Amino acid sequence: MTMNLFSQTDPTNSLEWTWFIANKYSSMFIQGTYLTLYTAVIGTLVGFLLGYLIGVIQDMKVNPGDNALKKVTVRLLKTVSGAYVEIFRDTPMIVQAMIIYYGLRQANVEMTPVFAGILVTVLNTGAYMAETVRAGIGSIDIGQREGAYAMGMSPMKTMIYIVLPQAFKNIIPEMANTFLTNLKMTSVLNVIAVQELFMAAKTAGGNYYKYFESYLVIALIYFVLCFIFNKLFIFIEKGMQGSEDYALAVEYMDNQ
Amino acid sequence: MSETILSIQDLGKSFGNHEVLRKIDIDVKKGEVICIVGSSGSGKSTLLRCINKLEKQTRGKILYHDEEVTDVQSHINDYRSKVGMVFQSFNLFNNMTVLGNCMLCTRKVLHISKEEAFDRAITHLKEVGMAPYINAKPSMLSGGQKQRVAIARALCMNPEILLFDEPTSALDPEMVGEVLTVMKELATTGLTMMIVTHEMAFARDVSTRTIFMDNGYVAEDAAPEILFTNPKNERTREFLSRYLAG
Ligand SMILES: Nc1ncnc2c1ncn2[C@@H]1O[C@H](COP(=O)(O)OP(=O)(O)OP(=O)(O)O)[C@@H](O)[C@H]1O
Ligand SMILES: [Mg+2]
Repeated sequence: MTMNLFSQTDPTNSLEWTWFIANKYSSMFIQGTYLTLYTAVIGTLVGFLLGYLIGVIQDMKVNPGDNALKKVTVRLLKTVSGAYVEIFRDTPMIVQAMIIYYGLRQANVEMTPVFAGILVTVLNTGAYMAETVRAGIGSIDIGQREGAYAMGMSPMKTMIYIVLPQAFKNIIPEMANTFLTNLKMTSVLNVIAVQELFMAAKTAGGNYYKYFESYLVIALIYFVLCFIFNKLFIFIEKGMQGSEDYALAVEYMDNQ
Repeated sequence: MSETILSIQDLGKSFGNHEVLRKIDIDVKKGEVICIVGSSGSGKSTLLRCINKLEKQTRGKILYHDEEVTDVQSHINDYRSKVGMVFQSFNLFNNMTVLGNCMLCTRKVLHISKEEAFDRAITHLKEVGMAPYINAKPSMLSGGQKQRVAIARALCMNPEILLFDEPTSALDPEMVGEVLTVMKELATTGLTMMIVTHEMAFARDVSTRTIFMDNGYVAEDAAPEILFTNPKNERTREFLSRYLAG
């Protein structure tokens, strides 16, 4: 036993082992962090787009005066998107990953594990976001739409210029939450061999049979990432609240 | 005799088996200021909402310049851009400034240029005394100010007829006056208006024609001098005496 409490070459306790593994596999952990972030960011952003699209589709209404083609299309879109949302919300992401990856491989569709991982994240996020968006749309007072309809705005333009901007603002906290969840949920993608953080820890730990220490390393990385993003989102949200006062346009103050 | 803008024929509206409008026939001529009065629940709001197609009637039809307003969305949009509406709850767009509220629909529905939309907005905001507030968000305005902006916003569309559904009912008493003043001013410009109101003095002074609605029917449709002083209908008399008694 050496006097060096913090040996990097000859670890004896858990703390030393943690440090040792973190150093020895640093490039693997960095690579894993990168892939985790990459998958989570792309998957979440594209998932949001999908969620908004599905949320808007689910809010569509058929007008008795619409032509038959439009009526059929809207009903079909609503049915398909409803089924999609239901299926992805009612199955675990880890199972979705397996089915999509191996299913597509069996169908001879070539794709990298990372692509499959992002696809699963997108589909999963889209399904949850669709419900969030729908609730967000529903929370906007109907008067906002009627004000626009009454001046001849089409339902779609009203959605784009009036309803969605307001709903978006209301669901920012939920979107931030979804991203943080995704950052952590990418860990399940190791089952389809995505080299993200969880996979890195599994590999590193396996080489020395030091699983506890190895997972401790990535726990710390997840924590730091989530902590930073959480603070960042709170900061952004505050910034978006906007000022509570306005400048009077003095040039129009005449004859008041 | 001036031309008929709107012709409401045999209009009926039921919510489930609750028949709210029973048989409404009203012709609106250019330049008329029609006030609609009646007790709560008589169907006044529903009538205006049907006219603007925010509710779909269950019977009858609406002719706009002798042409039936169909249920085709694009046709409805065109029609609505000519038939403005001012709501009891203002319905200003909360995500936009006063100026944004006044420019959005002229830009996106009428497709006029930014410069023209801006000029129109300023012109009409001046009319209602709200031009200095172009940068304010609706949440920062008082009720009376909101309603004046809503009126300016509707005017920006150059509507042929403007519908008002109890524009002062959600206001604190001290703000009712400023909105009524703006509306009185408008009445003198020759704009065609249909106004649902509980302000009897205003209706008597401003309207060229007053309609008393009762239980889904037009019970009386007459010049204000007649309706307010010598109503033919028993229900109108009851309503007015109840109203005047407080
Ligand atoms: N969307 C709806 N669904 C069901 N019933 C409705 C709906 N809208 C209105 N009603 C009913 O229709 C009747 C007439 O309502 P309306 O709002 O037209 O009355 P009103 O004359 O405007 O009354 P007020 O003076 O109180 O505004 C009421 O009994 C109301 O409950
Ligand atoms: Mg009403």
